[in-house]
Amino acid sequence: MTRQPVFALVGNPNCGKSTLFNALTGLKQKIGNYPGVTIEKKSGTAYTQHGRPLTLIDLPGAYSLAARSPDEAITRDVLLGRRADTPLPDRVLCIVDAANLERNLYLVHQVLDLGRPVILVLNMMDLAAQAGLEVRADRLEKELGIPVIPCEAVNGRGLVEIKLALSRPEPALSRHAWDVPAAVAPAVAELQSSLTDADAKPPLIARAEALLLLTDPNAVRVAGSTPLSDRTAAILSTWKQRWETEGTDWSGILVNSRYDAIARLVEGAVIRRKQRPGTVSIQQRSDRIDAVLTHPVLGWLALGAIMTALFLSIFLFAGYPMGLIENLMDAAAQAVRSRMAEGDLRDLITDGVIAGAGSVVVFLPQILILFFFIGLLESTGYMARVAFIMDRLMARAGLNGKAFIPLLGSYACAIPGIMAARTMENAKDRLVTILIAPLMSCSARLPVYLLMIAMLVPGATFNDALLKVGIMTGLYVLGAAGAFGFAWLFKRTLVKGEPSLMIMELPPYRLPRLGEVVRQMLERGWMFLRRAGTTIMGISIVLWFLAAYPKTNDSGIGGEGEAAAGTAVAGTTAGTAVVGTAAGTAVVAGTAAATAAPGVPISPITLIAPITPIPPATSTATSATTSATSAAPEAPPPHSAIGQSFAGMAGRAIEPVIKPLGFDWRIGIGIIGSLAAREVFISTMGTVFSIENADEEPEPLREAFARASWPDGRPLFTPLVCVTLLVFYVFAMQCLATLAVVRRETNSLRWPAFQLAYMTGAAWLVCLVIYQGGRLLGL
Amino acid sequence: MPANAFSAAAHRMTLTDLPIGAAGRVCELSGHAEFCQRLREMGVCESVVIEKISGRGTLLCQLCNARIALSDRAARHIVVEIMQGEKRWKG
Repeated sequence: MTRQPVFALVGNPNCGKSTLFNALTGLKQKIGNYPGVTIEKKSGTAYTQHGRPLTLIDLPGAYSLAARSPDEAITRDVLLGRRADTPLPDRVLCIVDAANLERNLYLVHQVLDLGRPVILVLNMMDLAAQAGLEVRADRLEKELGIPVIPCEAVNGRGLVEIKLALSRPEPALSRHAWDVPAAVAPAVAELQSSLTDADAKPPLIARAEALLLLTDPNAVRVAGSTPLSDRTAAILSTWKQRWETEGTDWSGILVNSRYDAIARLVEGAVIRRKQRPGTVSIQQRSDRIDAVLTHPVLGWLALGAIMTALFLSIFLFAGYPMGLIENLMDAAAQAVRSRMAEGDLRDLITDGVIAGAGSVVVFLPQILILFFFIGLLESTGYMARVAFIMDRLMARAGLNGKAFIPLLGSYACAIPGIMAARTMENAKDRLVTILIAPLMSCSARLPVYLLMIAMLVPGATFNDALLKVGIMTGLYVLGAAGAFGFAWLFKRTLVKGEPSLMIMELPPYRLPRLGEVVRQMLERGWMFLRRAGTTIMGISIVLWFLAAYPKTNDSGIGGEGEAAAGTAVAGTTAGTAVVGTAAGTAVVAGTAAATAAPGVPISPITLIAPITPIPPATSTATSATTSATSAAPEAPPPHSAIGQSFAGMAGRAIEPVIKPLGFDWRIGIGIIGSLAAREVFISTMGTVFSIENADEEPEPLREAFARASWPDGRPLFTPLVCVTLLVFYVFAMQCLATLAVVRRETNSLRWPAFQLAYMTGAAWLVCLVIYQGGRLLGL
Repeated sequence: MPANAFSAAAHRMTLTDLPIGAAGRVCELSGHAEFCQRLREMGVCESVVIEKISGRGTLLCQLCNARIALSDRAARHIVVEIMQGEKRWKG
């Protein structure tokens, strides 16, 4: 059986490879208007115009086959047939930006050296025309002797012609001849011969590698996974020594010689039209926008305005759909309770699945809004501008602005952010970027932030929304400041080194393609739901077992079905909770049931112990309707059912460590659970409080938080604790998947272990200072 | 690459010192060989014309139809010859 032909897509960063890949394969790979979106090879099946299937490989963008970064190395290795998992491509589709033909043809020129059949695709012909350039494909085709196809991948123009070119059974090899400069030609010949004989490379691949060995000063990097034989290494060393003695810049000669050949090639193929009077060119338009967005002052103001708009949208527009989902979850819990017989299965569904995973799902609207904005920013070309204005700040931390692209990606999720660090050329900078990337506030933190901010600012007026935006912005800035601070520290201690010199191509400004933005937003929303329905639900179910078992028949204080001691007066509905009075009794509005139904484990909230005087503290829930006076509902004592469960034991085991931060053992359970993923804190707390308040009506988590208290009646979630918890989640390393990716990207267990230790240690220390400092200040 | 349509003045300076809005022809790349190679591969090679759009700490430049960001330290390794009274670049 014959193998399906394999074609590779190659081109400079941000020239439209993935857009063309999606158009040809029908797949939905992520695309964006900034360099470095694709950092791993992706495969799909495309069809020729005659319906013949072929495997199409989308490769990361590269400026040269002399790879400087891990993503470029993937492209080089696939094209040189070094990857065990990928066959040597039968043909190569070189994509170039037609508006930047000469610069883009440098890589094409190197690909032609490989002696593989090449199809040249002139993408973005529309932008070239707008820039006043007429690119004559026929002329290039004649000069190169290969198919040259004009294309606008975004609009689908030129796809039929590309598919027809893919159909050609016997593609011609390029007849473009390039004479290697005389000064280096003997060395190329000698190296080619050695690579063929001693390293067993095919002749054309050997020639291409010989040229790369002379282009890149680092021979070990060029050799990659195929170390050079002693003979080849000796030849290379001898030639380099000779040229150094003569003062010959051999690599410069090679590159400039290629550009000379390219200049001859495009002569007559690119014609510049005069700009019509009164029209605004692309460059003039970019100049005007850049004058604001990259301005040292205006640029920061614009960034602040964009962040404000993002967070304001989250707080203003997400409330209604979030309420709908909450109601849906409550109705589902009620329906299960009314239709199913009492028992573990019912509790598992209501307390584990609905209260656990469901409490995360309610944040779907916010996640969608966040990714809508990220999609807009990615498609306009603004992301690279943020890296530009960040460069000076990054330089002080020991990195360069290019490192901010992976960090920006980490705002969505640290995993693609860490993988995007593959685009960085300097290994030390890359390592530091990987180490600090999880400090950028990812979308998984958003549910925790939103919940705690709702505790801090329960109102829903416009001014409240502005206050929430301020807090949210502060959290994002705190994470970024922490990342810069640790980068500064690491670059001066662990991985010393000067920041690499930054040179980065900025993409042209483009109007966002709303369809694509919405598609990517829905895709991320679906990923969020899938994660909630799989990982988080799985963890919630496990946690429910851990929180419900071992069962206790006698919980110590009070017995099963025993009414609460004290002066409990049932609250009417979920609502405002004001806890803590000077008289030593607590005023609570809530849903505390005064009595428990026979046979139902009594809610720990009704187990009242004598209340000791507590410092004044106020905690209010959002949907306040009524309030009622009661004895303060206490936290479940350690010997309560949940306190004696496995989860309770784990929470109590770490309580001595987290108590100085103002956290009790229930928050401890949340912290342990969220080691898997940050949003699991929400589902964990949902399950814990649902089990704890099992005999009550389902209520939003923030209302359960508002009523939670210490055994002595002090409110648990005071404003100071809420702030401390927020700061904990800014700094703590709570994501196993991220650690696994760091392990893979650094090829070491040491770095993820270090990352876990330094981030969690920093979180603990900063929280200790905040909480104890706040206590000293009487907060 | 574009070059010959410009009337070059004899002023040589680093790209950092090139006034904002001015264009210069690259005449020398200095510094680490690896960095010089990367500059060339990205199109910043000897004889191309580069225009400085803005920037002090970080520079924004126009190179043919591409916009390039360079850190100030990187720009110090690019020696240009200032172009006067000419159009910004040639296609």
